[in-house]
Amino acid sequence: MEPARSQHEHELRRVTAGEDEVVETLAKRRRLAGLPVWLWGVLGLLVLVGLFSIPGGAKQELEIAAEFDLQPLVSLPTIGPFDLSITKAVAYLWIATAVIVVVAIVIARNIKPQPSRFQYTMEALYELAYDGITASVMKSGVSTWFPYVGAAFFFILVNNLIGLIPLPFGEHHQLSFYAATANLNVTITLALFTFLFTHYAGMKKNGPVTYFRNWMPKGAPPVLREFIFVIHIVSEVFRLISLSVRLFANMVAGHAILAVFFAMALIFQSYLAAVVLDGASVLIYLFEIFVAVIQAFIFAILSAVYIGGALDQEH
Amino acid sequence: MDASAAKLLGAGLAMGLGAIGPGVGLGILIGKALEGIARQPEVSGDIRTNMFIGIGVTEAVALYAFVVALILVFVA
Repeated sequence: MEPARSQHEHELRRVTAGEDEVVETLAKRRRLAGLPVWLWGVLGLLVLVGLFSIPGGAKQELEIAAEFDLQPLVSLPTIGPFDLSITKAVAYLWIATAVIVVVAIVIARNIKPQPSRFQYTMEALYELAYDGITASVMKSGVSTWFPYVGAAFFFILVNNLIGLIPLPFGEHHQLSFYAATANLNVTITLALFTFLFTHYAGMKKNGPVTYFRNWMPKGAPPVLREFIFVIHIVSEVFRLISLSVRLFANMVAGHAILAVFFAMALIFQSYLAAVVLDGASVLIYLFEIFVAVIQAFIFAILSAVYIGGALDQEH
Repeated sequence: MDASAAKLLGAGLAMGLGAIGPGVGLGILIGKALEGIARQPEVSGDIRTNMFIGIGVTEAVALYAFVVALILVFVA
């Protein structure tokens, strides 16, 4: 009885001591670097008012749409309908390809059983592309179609991420943001690949006649079947449009919002706007990194869903 | 009304009204996915994958509105 009681008392003492500590830290927290917190708040407010009252810098003309203009970097002749000039979109595609090739070669040359951090990251990305994207939605043909889906994933991922690094392809070789995937030509080409591979895969596995016949549900009455067939064709075309426009519009919207936030201080000519909005633009930038990864993921997984749907038809 | 003013108004309306539906849809979609994950944490991987597919499809609707707004401002 006696020891238990003393232990209880001991615990009680410890608890009260802890409370004292809490009270003490609270008192400490109310003061920051020797000054009470409310004084810091007033000081911050004064700084903001000061920033608001100082007139901003020179007014600058700003054309956000100019970011998406394609001026030829190297002029080459036009052959038929194709203008072969090298624009910054082409340069960005080349850079992305070079980055992927170099990283893949470097990784493949030194694969170690004890992975370095870099190798571990790449292995995790590969696993995401194989298990998370391809194998999770395709019932068959995973190993056949993983090369395409994985390549699309990494290509779009690297392209989107390079778009968030300022590179000297702007006007007069200024640093500027651009992404090849913020160009409808690039995304439509990528979506066309998915479109063609979907129907190629379906026709190769099921035979062309069966493949198209399966677009009509078997149990449906005669006129309805043809109607559903037409609806199916329309939905296939809309997949092509939505796949390309989704990626394009996401990248354009992201870059436009970034440009607006970066440039807002120039538009408002105010240091207050500069401090607040450039702080906010950091958050937007982080969100754009998230969007870049998610869009690559969505493009790849939708490609896998479409190809998988053509391989294992339901009707 | 000036033609260019109508253009800008139309672009703003297109983007703003076009964002309502996908906004509601994304809220329902992600909310239901979280509900599903909370009920059955063991299938959270599958639910998350399908949620992202759904997000991609839903979000595209807002982006069509964005493209229409872009066309109104810069092309039309």
